[in-house]
Amino acid sequence: MTVGPVIRDEATAEFFDGTAAGQLLLRCCPAAHYSEPAAAQCTTCGVTELHWAPAAGGAALVSWAVTDAKAAAGEQSKRTVLVIAELDEGPWWWSQLDGADADDLAVGLRLRVTFRRPSDEHEAVPVFVLAGS
Amino acid sequence: MTRLGKVYGPSSAQFAADAVRLAAADAGLRLAEVDGLLTSSGVTGGISVDLQRDLGLTDLRLLSHLQAYGSTAGAMIQFASLAVMSGTASVVACVFADSPLRPERGASAIYGTRHAPAGWWGLLGASGVIGANPMYALAARRHMLRYGTTSEQLGHIAVAQRAWASMNPAAQLRDPITVADHQASRWIVEPFHLLDCCLVSNGGIAVIVTTAERAAGMAQPPVHVLGWAQSHRGRYLRRDPDFGLRSGAASAGPAAMAMAGILVTDVDVAELYDCYTFTVLLTLEDYGFCAKGEGGPFVASGVLRPGGKLRLNTGGGQLSGYYMWGMTPVSEAVIQVRGQGGARQAEAHEIALVSGNGGVLDHHCTLVLSSDREAS
Repeated sequence: MTVGPVIRDEATAEFFDGTAAGQLLLRCCPAAHYSEPAAAQCTTCGVTELHWAPAAGGAALVSWAVTDAKAAAGEQSKRTVLVIAELDEGPWWWSQLDGADADDLAVGLRLRVTFRRPSDEHEAVPVFVLAGS
Repeated sequence: MTRLGKVYGPSSAQFAADAVRLAAADAGLRLAEVDGLLTSSGVTGGISVDLQRDLGLTDLRLLSHLQAYGSTAGAMIQFASLAVMSGTASVVACVFADSPLRPERGASAIYGTRHAPAGWWGLLGASGVIGANPMYALAARRHMLRYGTTSEQLGHIAVAQRAWASMNPAAQLRDPITVADHQASRWIVEPFHLLDCCLVSNGGIAVIVTTAERAAGMAQPPVHVLGWAQSHRGRYLRRDPDFGLRSGAASAGPAAMAMAGILVTDVDVAELYDCYTFTVLLTLEDYGFCAKGEGGPFVASGVLRPGGKLRLNTGGGQLSGYYMWGMTPVSEAVIQVRGQGGARQAEAHEIALVSGNGGVLDHHCTLVLSSDREAS
């Protein structure tokens, strides 16, 4: 499976400007606490003065699950590894892990954020790959 | 309760209205005696305070629509109890109904396509995390990694509940299964097989809440609400070290039992919310039926089977019985406490512990129900 189509709305416009430029933007408060991009206030201290700040891209594996897309006749089914990863800035992120075998995973495994588009007309979506790949 | 399961035709609002009429008749009440109404709806919505008009109820003293996902049913009963204790209302109907099933489409089409492909929800779906299945699978995997819980152990929950369902005429799935059947059922999202996942059902269930004094003169044996507690963790889709390891049951369960003046060892019947087998396992640990992390060996010991030490999800639950969100465990607890469970009736049924869970382990409600006004 690859990523699916998603279109921006008012709340996600700046975030998708970031993914288009190869950045996973988080919300950051004056005390340098990072919150997930949908946060309306700092998840650590509650302040509403938040600015966008890019994640460095490093993450650690928290949990994973595997979907089996139904295969068309004659084709091998495509397994997708879905993960929760802890970004190095603190927030957790839910997406897929590309290019890894589900049998080789372990908690804490180092991952790196990258971006995929289902087609040129759709927004770029953050996904994970193994660090160093 | 209305007919449940693959029942096609009525809208959610019609199921809800029918459920309230049936509950009032069951209690021996005229509908006009209802002076409070709490409504709730499932994935398809379609229910609101307009239900009052559908039922022709006039001059209500309490009316509201609630939504806290799978914890709503327990919360409704808590609020209704507070209302009758304070004199705000005297007879409160609490109802849930849903009608997601259509004859021409499968169950997976309903719960998998909720997210519009725009904005934050669209992003989650575009990332491959579509619906509740992967979210709960990610939770279960954490428990497996931390405590060594296995898919076979989860299978024992599905097998035991199916055995209970075989004795429930209202259950949708009644043919016995084995752990091997569970293991052979197709993957939904690893580590969940098909038989780890709940049903989807159409129908409606309502309960009537009134004072103990008034209930004593009604048509059915009263079911006393001895304890309640809610816990809403507020960590959905956020960093949460407890995700999959501990839920709001760990705080709401002990609080409700303390209010009722009981210990977990006093529980005769446990009706625990089972959107997935894993939810049951986690709730058993959080309520203290076994130690944290020991849920896997505990459920695999045979304790859940009919004739085992624990009477759990005695109607088959949502895995095999019917999927009416929090009203599934509530309804079976009411049946058991009244002693009306037929072939599946628990011999001892003084104390029932009921859980509701929703929002991927983010919302929880616990109720303690009893055949007596005070725990003995």
